[in-house]
Amino acid sequence: MLHGLTLGSMYALVAAGLALMLGVARLINFAHGEFFMLGAYVFWFGYSELGLPYPVAALLAPAVMVAFGIAYQRTVIRAILPRSWHVQLIATLATSIVLTNLAIIVLGTQPKEVPTALSSRILDVAGLRVAWQRLLVLAASLAIFWGLHWFVGRTRTGRAMRAMSQNREACAVVGVDVQWTAMVTFAISAALAAIAAALVSPLFNIFPDMGTTLTLKAFAAVVAGGFGYVNGAIAASFLIGLTEALAGSYISYAYKDAIAFVIMIAVLLWRPQGLFGRRIGI
Amino acid sequence: MRRVGWLVLGVAILAAPWLVAAVVPRQQRYVLHVLIFTALFAALALSYDLVVGHVGSLSLGHPAFFGVGAYTAAILATQARWSFLTDVFAAGLAAAVVAALVGVPLFRLAEHAFAVGTLGLALVASVVANNWVQVTRGPLCITGIPKPALGPLAVATLPAFYWLALAALIVVVSLYRGLTTFRLGRAFHAVRDNEPLAASAGIDPLKYRLLAFTIAAGLAGAVGALYVHYLSVMCPEEMTVALTVNLLVIVFLGGVGSLRGVLVGAVLFTALPEVLRLAPTWRLVIYGGLLLLVVIRSPGGIESLLRRASR
Amino acid sequence: MRLALTLATLLLMAVSAGAQATPPIRIGFASAMSGPAAITGEGVRWGATLAVEEINAKGGVMGRKLEAFFADNKAQPGEAVSAVRKLVDVDQVDVIIGQTHSGACLGAMPVVKELGVPMVIEACSHPQIRALSGKGGNEWTFRVALDDEIMAYTFARYMARQGVKSSSILAMNNDFGRGAADAYDAAFKKANVKLLSTEFFDPGQPDYRPVLTRLKRANPEAILAVILASDGAPFMRQFRELGLTQRVFSRGSLGSAEFLYQVRDNPKIGDGVIEASYWITGLDPEWDKKWTERYKVPPRIHGSLAAITLKWAVVPALEIALKKHGKADRQTIRAALEEVDVKDSPLGPIKFDANHQAWINMILIEIRDGQLRILEKLPTSPALLN
Repeated sequence: MLHGLTLGSMYALVAAGLALMLGVARLINFAHGEFFMLGAYVFWFGYSELGLPYPVAALLAPAVMVAFGIAYQRTVIRAILPRSWHVQLIATLATSIVLTNLAIIVLGTQPKEVPTALSSRILDVAGLRVAWQRLLVLAASLAIFWGLHWFVGRTRTGRAMRAMSQNREACAVVGVDVQWTAMVTFAISAALAAIAAALVSPLFNIFPDMGTTLTLKAFAAVVAGGFGYVNGAIAASFLIGLTEALAGSYISYAYKDAIAFVIMIAVLLWRPQGLFGRRIGI
Repeated sequence: MRRVGWLVLGVAILAAPWLVAAVVPRQQRYVLHVLIFTALFAALALSYDLVVGHVGSLSLGHPAFFGVGAYTAAILATQARWSFLTDVFAAGLAAAVVAALVGVPLFRLAEHAFAVGTLGLALVASVVANNWVQVTRGPLCITGIPKPALGPLAVATLPAFYWLALAALIVVVSLYRGLTTFRLGRAFHAVRDNEPLAASAGIDPLKYRLLAFTIAAGLAGAVGALYVHYLSVMCPEEMTVALTVNLLVIVFLGGVGSLRGVLVGAVLFTALPEVLRLAPTWRLVIYGGLLLLVVIRSPGGIESLLRRASR
Repeated sequence: MRLALTLATLLLMAVSAGAQATPPIRIGFASAMSGPAAITGEGVRWGATLAVEEINAKGGVMGRKLEAFFADNKAQPGEAVSAVRKLVDVDQVDVIIGQTHSGACLGAMPVVKELGVPMVIEACSHPQIRALSGKGGNEWTFRVALDDEIMAYTFARYMARQGVKSSSILAMNNDFGRGAADAYDAAFKKANVKLLSTEFFDPGQPDYRPVLTRLKRANPEAILAVILASDGAPFMRQFRELGLTQRVFSRGSLGSAEFLYQVRDNPKIGDGVIEASYWITGLDPEWDKKWTERYKVPPRIHGSLAAITLKWAVVPALEIALKKHGKADRQTIRAALEEVDVKDSPLGPIKFDANHQAWINMILIEIRDGQLRILEKLPTSPALLN
């Protein structure tokens, strides 16, 4: 159960970033999982190779990925943003292939382990054993989502993001800086993925292919939650995480990767607009 | 002048086994093997282009239909001892039926949801193939699939298989042309280019999309059957989501919606890496990079470059 | 006088030029160089390169140098066919070592027969390979590694001797894992160990909590884990996290230097694991040292197996072929392999029986105090299967 929540948190952080991009900038980014993967490697580099303490290494990941995200936005994204979503999908898929295989070439196929103090220490309460790190993942995710909610609701840029997701043309007219807002959204999206990686890497391990399945599941969550609706994506992610954990424990472990998609397909069959309908805005 | 060029090309393609034996005698078996793969991939890519290029539905689920056909043929040939032509037909039929069944709910979805939905289909099919061991033998693979036999004629040598693959490709090319020209082709293109207008003109988008989807799936299933008869082995790894990436590269690099483009794309994608003999991981980086460049700068692919050159 | 000297010099030059003109013997190595199993292919490439260099530095095989060629089978049978054809037609190799993965082995076997090139398998573990080789129909395939049937019968009996009455199986969801699971299912029956449940997991995915929960619920005395080192590390961490207490017997590379390297922050996490294998670091300390110096990581199983196969199966065959026939081409190498009789390779005796199987030793390895130690070295023979 707790495990399902941990998984759900990871999926939610990644899916939220994806939904933000979709909602605010109308961008389909199939390379999103690679932000997660590269963030994990940056974290590994900071923690294992440079010997930085965990919080510093964990913050290094989003910092570097924000810079990377901005570079990515100025090069690839700017070129494909005005184009059809077919082009966006294929272009970002191509980027994903390039990044994954470059990672294999540069970093090697051997998975990297990044155990931290919290991941090795176990909390034993009433027969329930769980590593402290899992609780950290959950707590940090909740804090981040609360922070995101506050940001979008209270700050100027956040409100601009909301406005853009509702009506982009009108934004330019009333003086919202569309370019700046898009860039901030992208940065947040990359940071979310990287933080997820820094939180989860001590529990699992790091390898170049880790982003691809994650992208697919995040997309499943985004679509099931109502394309571009962030809270919907988060809810769907937790649903997927919990179901995977439960089904894996009680029904069949081998089929668990398919579960995210079975859920998504089931949701779409029942409500083709997603769980929360075709809402406007993030 | 151009007619003569086409004639020469046609003869060269037909006579390839002898040409290859004359030009590279020591490597002829390997070259023929690559040509067979190229022909099969080209047929598969054309079937994919029917859906992506001509009705404009970005389906990411084609490997599922290839896999359904491949496994159907593999099981029928090994367990039930069906003959070659019947199991190819059954494979295509099975794939088409699956496509019709999943297509109805899938096409109700909005475009983006459709793409992700078909992706989900491919993934689920892959997981099922890997785990439904009673039927597919999972990772242990189905082995011992017999070589094809057309009546009394056994297709046992490489040149024989090459001609079989070539014949299959010619059939697919003819079907492709037939489906994408005349009234049917115009209907498909109307749905692709302006769905509301098509609907108001009395062309039911759902019906036509489903039609293209089903036929394409059937063709993919038939190609799958040929594939397993050539390799004599079928494993779940042959139908993963990665196959979608390969098909996307062929179709978009070559030129989506164009016969010549897709054929050129298939040749480049299958034959070229063998010639260049790049390290596999670098090969993928280069393909990804090429795909990125092409889709941004020249979305018509090589086909549009060829058209511009011939002006 | 001067004429004689010139003639002699010319003659000497001609002879030496002719000697250098003997072509190297070409060895092909096929493994998974890309895709999810790429780590095995990387190991094979490293091991092969190091071994070939070592042999050539000593002057080659009876004066003939070796040249290595590599091909990628992506751990898939379709690609294995392409890999074999490339090695034979394009690289013109005289003998192939490899495939590593059972699906690829099974796909490649008909093709090496069709093309007439000997293939010595260094690692595929599917029992069907033994049934199909040699007098089973395919005279061109040979195998050095032990298969799961042989190992399962031996290991299951060992587990029973240790007092284990019930067990569950946890295996990778690939050809290796499924083949092993089938073999242990049958072997447990014969050894009177009750099989409570069988679970499969996808290699490379790092989340074992659900399956560990299931195992906890089934409550066997022991778990037979068919798992590699890279997956073994997160598995053992989560095993300890959940507080499971079953005895872990493993078949793969859990009991290996690679695993200990992955858990070097907490090396005792693997204590108590007993691994059935046929290779371990320490069988050939000089090789281990060369590997670690060159590649900066502990020796890997697939690379070391490829090297041993080359040095103690293929090279002796090359020597036999060269001595008997003066040449080492595909047919003579094939015939020579049938005559190889090496008593003291690091893996044990290498002599191919009627099914072209070498009956090397099985090794039981235990992790104790964060270190590997060899518990028992068990010779194998066909009698074990009864």
